[in-house]
Amino acid sequence: MRGFLATFAVGFKSLWKSPVSVFILIAFPILLILILGTALSTYISADIELEPAPMAVAAEEGGPLRAFLASPDISPFFELTYTDAAEAEALTKSGDVICAVVEGGDGSLDVLSQSQISFTAQIALSILDSYQRIGAAAAAAATEGGDIAAALGMDLSVTDMPLGKRAPSATDYYAVTMLVMILLYTGLNGVELFSKGMLSDTGRRARTAPISKAALVGGLLAASTVTSFLQGMVTFVFSGVVYGVYWGERIPLVLATLFAVVLLSQALCLFLLMLFRHPGAAGGAAQAFFWVSTFVSGGYTKVSFGPADAVFQYAPNAMAHTVIFGSIFGGNEGKMMFCLAALFGLGLLFYVLSFILGRRRFS
Amino acid sequence: MVASMENIVKRYQAHTALDHMNLTIHQGETLGLLGPNGAGKTTAIRVLTGLTTADAGETRLFGTEMKGAALAVKRRIGVVPQDLALYETLSARDNLNYFGRLYGVRGHDLKNRVDEVLELLGLTDVAKKAPKKFSGGMKRRLNIGCAIIHRPELLILDEPTVGIDPQSRNHILSFVEGMAKAGTTVLYTSHYMEEVERVCSRVLIMDAGHVIANGSVEELTKAAIFEETVTLEVREAAPDLPDSVKKVQGVQRCEPDGRSLTVTSAAGSQNLARIIECAAPYVILSVAAKRPTLEDAFLALTGKKLRDNGGEGI
Ligand SMILES: Nc1ncnc2c1ncn2[C@@H]1O[C@H](COP(=O)(O)OP(=O)(O)O)[C@@H](O)[C@H]1O
Ligand SMILES: [Mg+2]
Repeated sequence: MRGFLATFAVGFKSLWKSPVSVFILIAFPILLILILGTALSTYISADIELEPAPMAVAAEEGGPLRAFLASPDISPFFELTYTDAAEAEALTKSGDVICAVVEGGDGSLDVLSQSQISFTAQIALSILDSYQRIGAAAAAAATEGGDIAAALGMDLSVTDMPLGKRAPSATDYYAVTMLVMILLYTGLNGVELFSKGMLSDTGRRARTAPISKAALVGGLLAASTVTSFLQGMVTFVFSGVVYGVYWGERIPLVLATLFAVVLLSQALCLFLLMLFRHPGAAGGAAQAFFWVSTFVSGGYTKVSFGPADAVFQYAPNAMAHTVIFGSIFGGNEGKMMFCLAALFGLGLLFYVLSFILGRRRFS
Repeated sequence: MVASMENIVKRYQAHTALDHMNLTIHQGETLGLLGPNGAGKTTAIRVLTGLTTADAGETRLFGTEMKGAALAVKRRIGVVPQDLALYETLSARDNLNYFGRLYGVRGHDLKNRVDEVLELLGLTDVAKKAPKKFSGGMKRRLNIGCAIIHRPELLILDEPTVGIDPQSRNHILSFVEGMAKAGTTVLYTSHYMEEVERVCSRVLIMDAGHVIANGSVEELTKAAIFEETVTLEVREAAPDLPDSVKKVQGVQRCEPDGRSLTVTSAAGSQNLARIIECAAPYVILSVAAKRPTLEDAFLALTGKKLRDNGGEGI
């Protein structure tokens, strides 16, 4: 215990003074600002490339809504399925479409939206919103002095489905993906601290002291894990306070996921260090892996890899995204819990592998 | 007996770093372990302190065989590694605190002891500074400090003065002498003869993974040195001098060089007076008798110079 606490304290202190850790602490939040800034500006810029949003339409044939959606300015934004109201709702629930618009008998519009992490859905909703406004304006113009809504005889109400409080904005999206990425990179703290405190001459000296190897290793790992998590929390709080990022109502679940990412990252980095026996090589390999994992998980920009997505959804970032977005905006609980367990499980696995490799090395 | 190594063999792949190494450290002595780079000094210390396990042989510290953790024994030794082993970004005090705590020193005792060690090593003024800003000598001193917070009974220093200024070196050597005087048993490793000659009561000379000589500095030089040299310098040219000196008993060679003459005799000839007698007709400017050193002993024992390989192991 004495060795553990002393090592924890010294590791903790030294990490807050190390360049790697300062980089994670300072550079990443700055990066976050830049990326969020870019994300926000592309969101409002006109030349962003959109995939057509799959949408179900239950509307009168030859009616104004169908005509509107078919017009050349609007049609590129949608991939339309014409159907009836019940079917439209079912398609939305099953996720085959990201939203459905249902024309009521009285001319009102009901928009059912599958909460989705996509700009496309946002755009689709705002287009429908404009449709209503244009219609209202036209109606107001036709019956001068009249009550616009009454004149139009329709009312647009947007209902989020299934659980979501609201749909994520680009800021929300990047706040989550960037934070996951940042926490993944904190494994580099571990590489640095473990090399210093265990493998270097300094570590060798500590190993001549009358403390168990477990206390030394445990102290270093705990210091690195706690520091990394706290560093992630700086960005977490920052994103909420400065950008008003909405982290949902299940904060413990979000934090547990972030912690799982930290553990996995520490464990993976430790494993690579034991494998390559060289901090530079381990750090390099870890960074390459983090980059790929972030990329295929849509951490840098939302991308689709077609059939490969079936595999990429199990990349560490992607699993963390699944849990966090699910907890904020609603998602499949079973899949979320699977992903969370998988993150912890992978962390454990890499710790065990590191231990096996390390035993061989330090015996 | 504080420590012993018996027939230790340590291999690194095909290379044998320790080849049947034997060593005994007695209570209260300052034992010098002298040898060129690559002789196996550091490896011997690693085996002794349990950092690495030997392929064969037995190591004992304070009567306990060094196997596995051996925590109780580790508490009684202090190790100053050859390379700086510090947290460079933390303050000197933080470093001393850390290593002190690892050895179970804590609370008031820790604070007092850290102050004491800072004072002892002349680091009190820079206690709050990080060693990365220190001079080489200051780093070396802190490196030593971290090994003595817990008042070890056996202090092991692995080339503690490599690459530092003469003043710091002197400070460190005085410190080692002080520790020895206070009763600490010391194992001092070096490839600098002068240091070992100055601080050690007994010397082991090591080469190629094992000990090749063991004794006090005097014993070793006497045993190993077969020749003594005297250099005479005279004012005017003295063409007959070499011939007359050559007749003196014990003289083996005479090498004139301008107005000076280097005379080599068999060890123990005790013929200096007679050599000077030969030179009496001339005005003698100087006589220099070179005392044999450990350096010569090493050369005589191994046919190698201690520091001829260029690599200073810094
Ligand atoms: N970890 C290691 N792996 C391989 N060879 C080593 C290792 N450590 C030392 N050696 C070799 O063992 C020999 C003795 O080294 P060392 O004990 O460091 O010598 P010294 O301290 O006397 O300079 C050297 O030839 C060195 O190259
Ligand atoms: Mg050495």
